[in-house]
Amino acid sequence: SAAARRPWRLFGAMCLLRLPRITQPLEKEEEEMAALMEQLELEKSHYSDHEIRKLEEEEQLKRRKESLYDEDEAHGKTVIMAQDLEEKWEQKFLGFKAAPRITDADKSNDRTSLNRKLDSNLMLLVKQKIGNQELWLLPQVEWQPGETLRSTAERAMATFLGDHIQAKVLGNAPYGIYKYKFPRAIRTVDNVGAKVFFFKAFLQSSDLSQAELKADYLWVTKKELGDYLNSEYLNKVNRFLLD
Amino acid sequence: DALLGCHRSYRSRPTHGIGKFKYLLPKEVPKKRKEKVQMKEIDAGTEYQYGDVNIQMTSYDLCLVEHFAQYVHRLCNRLSIRVIESYAMPTKTNEVLFLEERGSKMQLDAVLTTHQRVVQIRGLSSTFAPILLEIIQSNQPEGVHLLVKQHTEADFKSRLKSRPELEELLAQMS
Repeated sequence: SAAARRPWRLFGAMCLLRLPRITQPLEKEEEEMAALMEQLELEKSHYSDHEIRKLEEEEQLKRRKESLYDEDEAHGKTVIMAQDLEEKWEQKFLGFKAAPRITDADKSNDRTSLNRKLDSNLMLLVKQKIGNQELWLLPQVEWQPGETLRSTAERAMATFLGDHIQAKVLGNAPYGIYKYKFPRAIRTVDNVGAKVFFFKAFLQSSDLSQAELKADYLWVTKKELGDYLNSEYLNKVNRFLLD
Repeated sequence: DALLGCHRSYRSRPTHGIGKFKYLLPKEVPKKRKEKVQMKEIDAGTEYQYGDVNIQMTSYDLCLVEHFAQYVHRLCNRLSIRVIESYAMPTKTNEVLFLEERGSKMQLDAVLTTHQRVVQIRGLSSTFAPILLEIIQSNQPEGVHLLVKQHTEADFKSRLKSRPELEELLAQMS
């Protein structure tokens, strides 16, 4: 018979990534370089229209103070001067407040929220029961014959986060594979071990207010993965994670 | 005589044709005006390959967009992905007027220019495409919008300018 002879059980796991929202801070050399380039460009550049206008108006003012030329120069006097415009813009800029870069990292490392490290990738980790152990894993679900591995991974995501997750799976090819053999006690002829295929998806919207079904989930960066995963599992997973 | 006083050497002289050089230059093919529109598109099959893919980057900041386009181009070169063209779309200028009505109506103007750069790629295998996408996405600078799509004829036509007089004359003729 066709599908009977497979000793390995297949799982599809989904690695759900939340992309960084802000760029990472520059290194020291990058900052110095940027400052140097800016200075160079400033020295080499020409005056813009606004600056020329400002200079001319300053000259007009000076001439008017020294000698009294009011009538002839009056045609050039517009209602709004360039200096006033600049001051208006300055005030507007001071009124603008940028959102803070370090939001919940202040909040004592709350690893279940998505607002954490805004400048790096966050991955979803879920506590699952495998055999008789509770382990932290990427959400995985067993493959059923007749469905593609990608849909298995999507099902895994759906079981842990509910439907209507706006995540975009990239491509049909898996990113990595982790296979392990069951301990001798459980091993039978048919069930030598399991292979887990990893897929990647990007989280589109950051709104997960609906359905967090199972508890015990974490959003974790790549460096913090080592705290939770087994070493071999971690090795295989690290191979396909960009930073 | 005046005729024999010129410096052209005659055919019997050994110095005949001494000043000629055009035979040394590479042959120039006369330039054709017409552009070929359709490029082939490969789809499906076991090794799934995308046809022509356009990566479009839009932003208000010119330097950022240009540098990012250069970065993408060089990345594709290094990953030996064939880049067909990398061109720029014409810039769009938007004037932003604020109408504040607190007593006196003030209008503050701002002039924004939107720049767009396109990098065209062919022969992207579908196992590699998500990796490339992820790399580009994670290296996106702030303020740059990224759009990756298949190349269509409409995209090609959008680069060409329409000639209303020519169309009028054609309509009159037919």
